[in-house]
Amino acid sequence: MKAKIKRTLQITMLAAALISAAPAAFGAGEKLAVFTKNNTNPFFQAVRLGADSAAKQMKVGLTQFVPTKPDSIPEQMSQMEDVIVKKPDAIVLVPVDYKAMVPGVEKLNAAGIPLVNIVDRSAGGKFVSYVGADDYVLGMVTARYLIKAMKGKGNVVIMEGVRGSLTSADRVRGFNAAIKEAPGVKLVASQPANFQRLQALQVMENLMQSHPAIDGVLAANDAMALGALEALDGAKRKALAVGINATKEGVDAIKAGRMLASGDYNGFVQGCLGTMIAVRTLRKQPVPKEVLLPAVVVDKTNYGPYDLPVDQRSCPKWEEMVKG
Amino acid sequence: MRVTRGNLLESMREAFARLGGRLAAVILIFVVLGLASDVFLTQNNLLNVLRQAALLFLIASGLTLVILTAGLDLSVGANLGMSACLAASVLKATGSPFLGVLTGVASGLATGLANGLLVTALRIPPFIATYGMLWVLHGLSYYYMAGDTIYGFPPGFREIGSGYLFGLPVPIYLMFVFLAIGWLFLERTTWGQEVYAVGANPVAARLSGVPVRRRLVLVYTVSGGMAGLAALVYLARLNSAEADIGEPLLLPAIAAVLIGGASLFGGVGTLGGTLIGALILTLVLNGMNLLEVNANWQPLVTGAMVLIGVLLDMWTRRRAEEKS
Repeated sequence: MKAKIKRTLQITMLAAALISAAPAAFGAGEKLAVFTKNNTNPFFQAVRLGADSAAKQMKVGLTQFVPTKPDSIPEQMSQMEDVIVKKPDAIVLVPVDYKAMVPGVEKLNAAGIPLVNIVDRSAGGKFVSYVGADDYVLGMVTARYLIKAMKGKGNVVIMEGVRGSLTSADRVRGFNAAIKEAPGVKLVASQPANFQRLQALQVMENLMQSHPAIDGVLAANDAMALGALEALDGAKRKALAVGINATKEGVDAIKAGRMLASGDYNGFVQGCLGTMIAVRTLRKQPVPKEVLLPAVVVDKTNYGPYDLPVDQRSCPKWEEMVKG
Repeated sequence: MRVTRGNLLESMREAFARLGGRLAAVILIFVVLGLASDVFLTQNNLLNVLRQAALLFLIASGLTLVILTAGLDLSVGANLGMSACLAASVLKATGSPFLGVLTGVASGLATGLANGLLVTALRIPPFIATYGMLWVLHGLSYYYMAGDTIYGFPPGFREIGSGYLFGLPVPIYLMFVFLAIGWLFLERTTWGQEVYAVGANPVAARLSGVPVRRRLVLVYTVSGGMAGLAALVYLARLNSAEADIGEPLLLPAIAAVLIGGASLFGGVGTLGGTLIGALILTLVLNGMNLLEVNANWQPLVTGAMVLIGVLLDMWTRRRAEEKS
């Protein structure tokens, strides 16, 4: 809340805000640029805060580039072109689209700027290193957790994300793989709700009409899981629900016993690692070619670290992350 | 504002006659879905559809007034998002449903008034004025929320969205109350008639003494206020606010108005038509979920249903003209 009040004050001082909104000048030490997909998904906010925390620890300057229109391919492309002029020492990149951004990546390669790829693996271009996690495994691990809690039997529904998004497709594939392992579990419907809370609510309301017994909900993100839970509450029905991303809201729902669990691969740590690898490369320290973070299912027993607001976390030690 | 006289029943009959073809489209959807799904025609499902349509109708109703003047309000979605975030903050900080509602509506009205002044005092074309406003509001909301989610509102407040009154969900009452108020305003008051006149021919309207600018400011302000109100229904239903919740609602709202028979050139359209437009869009999603249409086909089915609905309407209209 305090942060909100502070931001309200800042909005009222719009003039000042406009000046400070211009990309801050690169600080002391090495100059880094971090590219993320949008300003709306809490996951990328966590990535950015992780990068900031790492930059502070390693005393480097860092500028964030985020398309004003969420996930805009042309906008990230022009941001890449702009950044070539400014010539940062290294770039940490989440491509808004793993295929469409390849020409941009090649331009950065041609400019000789070292690149670290995080979150979504680029389909082309040269990178020092890749940090990420597998959405398929994440979906599978999360669904297995739900199925275990359902004691291996009952009806489940899937809330899919945006059609054509790799993230959603992989998670849903993982869900389905886990369902196939459990002969007692029946998938009664798999419908898109586009990662949107309102749509998930409406889709769930509609599905409850034709399915009198739904025991489990597999949602490709937390917002959809919570939307589906609102629909269940409204109809005074109960089902176990899992989401993905372990957002603060999701963790609160887990704490309150409303949501069963949430799968996560820790955007904050991905931001930390990506930034540290970039800096270590510049300082000629050894870096791994690839780090795949393990999928974690956050539930009532282990939500502790996720309960802390993201902006108060700080990066774990390098050795811990690379080993883990 | 004067209330015009005349036979109320007669004008209601006329209103229904004007809806002719669109009603036929809705009836066709009912027949098809009723035959295809054994749960479609249950009381629960029909209430479900009406409740889902209510949110869309509330946004689209204000927008209808704007479109009647040959204007456009592209900021309704962003306005909803911004009003929801502000109202959510106030609800969290004060716990008072009254202050929350006040904030949501005031924020909506303020944005609407600003739109009205941009269009009249500064003579910016409505498309550009409200497109600019859309970005300003998105920017402010993203900045204010910084990727956060505000959630968990007082139970009293949540009644607006998830409560029941005499066995019917509260949003359905809101929908019909605003339909009635809007209809009486447009059909039975001089101001309402002037709104049509401004859209049909602004020069003629001005020459015959209609205060064109004041009516324009009025419709944009009302449109903003309705977006603010819809934001409250959203918050009360979903129990949560994020910066980007309004974006997916803009195009469906415009579509509901236009499917409902309003013309972008102004002077033509009714609120009853907009209600039918909102119902058609809601029924399509409901039907696809009940019949479990594969996610890949859903956009195509939506598009086809909209086109068929509008074609059916044009066809019945032409036949009626030939007969007379």
